[in-house]
Amino acid sequence: MSELRFDGRVVIITGAGNGLGKSHALAFGARGAKVVVNDLGGDIHGGGASARAADLVVEEIRAAGGEAVANYDSVTDGAKIVQSAIDAFGKVDVVVNNAGILRDVSFHKMTRDDWDKVYEVHVRGAFEVTHAAWDVMREQGYGRVIFTTSAAGIYGNFGQGNYAMAKLGLVGLSNTLAIEGRKRGVHANAIGPIAGSRMTETVLPPELLAALKPEYVTPLVLWLCHEECQETGGLFEVGGGFMGKLRWERALGKTWRLGRGISAEDVKSQWGAIAGFEKAEHPENIAQSMQPIMGNVERGPSKGGNEFIDLDEALGYRFEPAHSRYDERDLALYALGVGAAKDPTGDELKLVYEMSGDGFVALPTYGVIPAVNWMLDMGKRGVTAPGIKYGLDRVLHGEQYTELKRPLPPKAKLRHEARIKDIFDKGKGALVVTEVKSYDEDDELLIVNEITTFVRGAGGWGGDRGPSADVNVPPERAPDFVVQEKTDANQALLYRLSGDWNPLHADPRFAKAMSFDRPILHGLCSFGFAARHVLSKCTKDGDPRYFKNIRVRFAKSVFPGDTLVTEIWKESDTRVVFQVKVAERDEVVISNAAIELYEQIPVKKPKAKAAAPEAATAKAAGPTSADVFRGIGLWMAEKAGEAKVGKVFQFKLSDPESVWTLDCASDAPSVSEGESTKPDCILELTDANFVAMTKGEKDPQKMYFGGELKISGDIMASQKLGFLKKVEARHVEAAMKASGGGESAAKAAPAAKKAPTEARAPKLFEALAGKAPKGSGKIQIRVTDPDGAWLVDLDAGAVKPGTYEGASTVITLSDVDLAAVASGEASAADLYQRGKLRVDGEVGPARDLAWLRV
Amino acid sequence: MRKVNVIGVGMVPFQKPGASEDYPEMGEKAIRAALADAGIDFGEVQQAYAGYVYGDSTCGQRVVYSVGKTGIPVFNVNNNCSTGSTALMLARQAVAGGIAECVIAIGFEKMEKGALSAKWDDRANPLEHHAGVMQDVQGFTAAPPAAQMFGGAGREYRWKHGTKRETFAKISEKARKHAAKNPYALFKEELDVEAILASPEVFDPLTRYQCCPPTCGAAAAILCSDEFAKKHGIGDPVWIAGQAMTTDTPASFGKSMIQMVGFDMTKDAARQVYEQAGIGPDEVDVVELHDCFTANELLTYEGLGLCPEGGAEKFIWDGDNTFGGKYVTNPSGGLLSKGHPLGATGLAQCTELVWQLRGQGEQRQVEGAKVALQHNLGLGGACVVTMYRRG
Repeated sequence: MSELRFDGRVVIITGAGNGLGKSHALAFGARGAKVVVNDLGGDIHGGGASARAADLVVEEIRAAGGEAVANYDSVTDGAKIVQSAIDAFGKVDVVVNNAGILRDVSFHKMTRDDWDKVYEVHVRGAFEVTHAAWDVMREQGYGRVIFTTSAAGIYGNFGQGNYAMAKLGLVGLSNTLAIEGRKRGVHANAIGPIAGSRMTETVLPPELLAALKPEYVTPLVLWLCHEECQETGGLFEVGGGFMGKLRWERALGKTWRLGRGISAEDVKSQWGAIAGFEKAEHPENIAQSMQPIMGNVERGPSKGGNEFIDLDEALGYRFEPAHSRYDERDLALYALGVGAAKDPTGDELKLVYEMSGDGFVALPTYGVIPAVNWMLDMGKRGVTAPGIKYGLDRVLHGEQYTELKRPLPPKAKLRHEARIKDIFDKGKGALVVTEVKSYDEDDELLIVNEITTFVRGAGGWGGDRGPSADVNVPPERAPDFVVQEKTDANQALLYRLSGDWNPLHADPRFAKAMSFDRPILHGLCSFGFAARHVLSKCTKDGDPRYFKNIRVRFAKSVFPGDTLVTEIWKESDTRVVFQVKVAERDEVVISNAAIELYEQIPVKKPKAKAAAPEAATAKAAGPTSADVFRGIGLWMAEKAGEAKVGKVFQFKLSDPESVWTLDCASDAPSVSEGESTKPDCILELTDANFVAMTKGEKDPQKMYFGGELKISGDIMASQKLGFLKKVEARHVEAAMKASGGGESAAKAAPAAKKAPTEARAPKLFEALAGKAPKGSGKIQIRVTDPDGAWLVDLDAGAVKPGTYEGASTVITLSDVDLAAVASGEASAADLYQRGKLRVDGEVGPARDLAWLRV
Repeated sequence: MRKVNVIGVGMVPFQKPGASEDYPEMGEKAIRAALADAGIDFGEVQQAYAGYVYGDSTCGQRVVYSVGKTGIPVFNVNNNCSTGSTALMLARQAVAGGIAECVIAIGFEKMEKGALSAKWDDRANPLEHHAGVMQDVQGFTAAPPAAQMFGGAGREYRWKHGTKRETFAKISEKARKHAAKNPYALFKEELDVEAILASPEVFDPLTRYQCCPPTCGAAAAILCSDEFAKKHGIGDPVWIAGQAMTTDTPASFGKSMIQMVGFDMTKDAARQVYEQAGIGPDEVDVVELHDCFTANELLTYEGLGLCPEGGAEKFIWDGDNTFGGKYVTNPSGGLLSKGHPLGATGLAQCTELVWQLRGQGEQRQVEGAKVALQHNLGLGGACVVTMYRRG
């Protein structure tokens, strides 16, 4: 490392006759600086004055070949010191405020003079010198200022009240000058040295003083004052071989919402947070210091609460994400629990039988189960949001909103993100709305639930009462449909197996304790019944997959065995209002209820697969199979009528593998990634061939004959795929754009070309030429992939490459097939019938290719 | 069984899809033409057999009513491409069995553009077992299914007998030549072998001009007993000397495309007809046969016994299928050039042959035609062969 030099720099060091100052002066001088050695020559208590100390240091610097001048002014006449530097060297680059005195005395004995003298030398002296140099440094756009502070000021020290005051005052000045000088290239730092000096000789034992030589401090000063060093505003402790920077640490503390009175008792109760450093931060400037306060102002005034609920803590609280999964068995058990498939041969069989001929369909209201089970699990484990202080005994399920973004897949792994969405004060009780958003394996939102619980006796803090108007009021007219269905006496016992373990629905004694004659049916069980009723009446073909969302209010309890009467008003194609009564008591048990329906069954957006390297290259170069499929989906959305050909096609692509389903049987034909439960026709080909086929670069017929395309199932159905030709480039481009693909085509490396396999034909014909095949006729053989041509003159027993006039028969086939015929693996007849071998002219000679076998 | 006479025939000029009238109008014109030809009133007709493939139920009534709502039985008949001759056969049976004295068979079809394909997607395809044979033998492609089936049979024949591609095209060339002289035909423009081979390949060895077009049209025939003819003073009518229908046997579902497309059905039906008539193929003068594709006309020469098996190529190049040769096949232009409205084809064939036997063939008259043979084939399958005589 090169030596840190100060050539040409002018350095003022105050109090440089002895100790630290002298050490600094000699070091700067030795490193090429022009040094102003200031020392009043006084004693350590500020009395007397002699030029002797400064002169000795100057001499020493000069003796070592350095440049220095002495100055004998008091720091309180700082302007003179700076002037002498200007006079001698023309400028000032560095000011080291080092001069100081001690008037150590315990506070009760301290006089005003003790206080003032210490202040004058340390604080005012530093001010005078630095202030006089400040303009010079600002003007020249460069400066380094050091303030010498002390542990006594930072931490306090017995008998040094005046000194501590002065030293910490310098830290404040240093911090501010760092801010003010930053734009002008003027840096300020403070050091807190422990060094043996005249000032410390009095208080430290000799063995320690030996370790505290000034030479252990000076190197830090040199670095801080060097032009390379960008440190400013720092505070350092240094000495005895140690150097370290200090910073402020602040506890995260406690913030009370504004508008809420803070009592001394509150402070006491939060003392751990206020005074503990378990959670702390390190503010570096005023802005950071202000952050907790600004944040609190932004949050606005307190929303209040009471001993049951603290809205400020609870409202908006986000729970840790939770996970769950379900499969067909869970869906079927749930569907049975809400009365589905009582007719085991009826339409609802598909809700409970995973191998149903119509394809398994999830009952959409199962969407409530993962969220409710999550909440029950939280309750079981005693996890609540902060600020929620009521027990589960106060809680009733008041309202439920469940929305599906698309039909539930037969199985899924879900991640749940829950938060307290709303809290309303209903006077006697409170309403707490917990929102649970459930995302599927691809992080796509699948289910939104809002579970509204009524908390008995927890209201009355004078807060927001929330929406009060019933939005889903049944119209005046008679219901459009009425569905009546009796629940079973053991309905609750069956339903609870879907996860709601609450003994209220099973344990007679528990129910009694809760003031019910016997266990009651789960509100969500009636909810499921009602949804089934509505969906069967109001969706196209009774298909539950049109379900969008449901909102209900649980008005009264239902007992297992009650007869549910669902009264349905179909207000539009997409909105149905309903209510549920119990026939036996003519009571409304579910009110303010509605179901909304999708116009078309929504389909999951195909996810962009993590593509294999080749596929990634291909993607950059053009549309991927996924883009094409999505493009087909976009086209289908536009041309549902043309795409509806009544069949479900499944494409199984390889290299890389993917499976896509084109459902052209439904009224809303759609494309989805993944297998369909019941494809009519399965087409298997490579990813590249699929893309090439859709671009028209590959002929499906040829691929089929060449074995590159396999069709199984209803092969006639594949004839219906002609509509794929109608998919326009713009659809695929739109899909590419949406998937972010294809954009980097220019940057992408050219697609790796498949290494051509070695042609078999040339060797074969070379071998044949030597064998002089005999027979009759002149056969021109045209080979493709790779191309080649040979004439086999069987009459003459000659073989020659090239194309010739006068061949009686022309046979065209691929290199691979030629080799297969030659080896006897394929029969020419079969290849011909399959269109892989073409014969022009006389067919006869083509029938006997035995001569090909070398 | 009584002798059955064909006393009146009529048809409308065939049109391409979109250019024709609707089926009731086409059907009505065909019926009125047949009635006029027979010289009887519709009131004399005791039963009607109406053939069509594409249309909702009771299109037959809709057509018949436009001529007369006489309350007679109307039977709607559907038997794929052999629908027309199936209606004809039912009509003949009614008269032959003494059920009725005078009946009409009417066939009509309003077709869509493009190749034939299945109309119903939600149920089993009646041809799926046939398609299964093809899947096994040659796979399945994007080409029109019927072209794959008959084309595949052509491949099989070609491989077996070494037939030139030009031989198939020559059939189409002949069809065009005949159709050029038939005012009822759809394609009247002559084409040579070169042009036919140069048309786009549909399914080797078939090119586009070797495939019959989707067509709209109607044709009708009035059948009656000798007593009825005598009563109405109809002398020397054309009569049906033999008729048979065959359907698939297990032979169709083996490993042969030729069998799958009904070669054996043809052979067996023809054999039955020759036996019924006591007349062999050598005595036949004129033939209307089911040339939906050139390959099938070629096969049918052999199926009907017009030439020995494997002899079709020579038969064609010798000109034995056209004027001046041993037979004249499809003087009307056939399905290839006259057109193929599925329900009407069988009755249009009948119409042509009746005209030929009466000497009303005009520019395309086969001189001295005394015995006529009709062959109408439907995949699925049904083959109807009918022999007509006069005198």
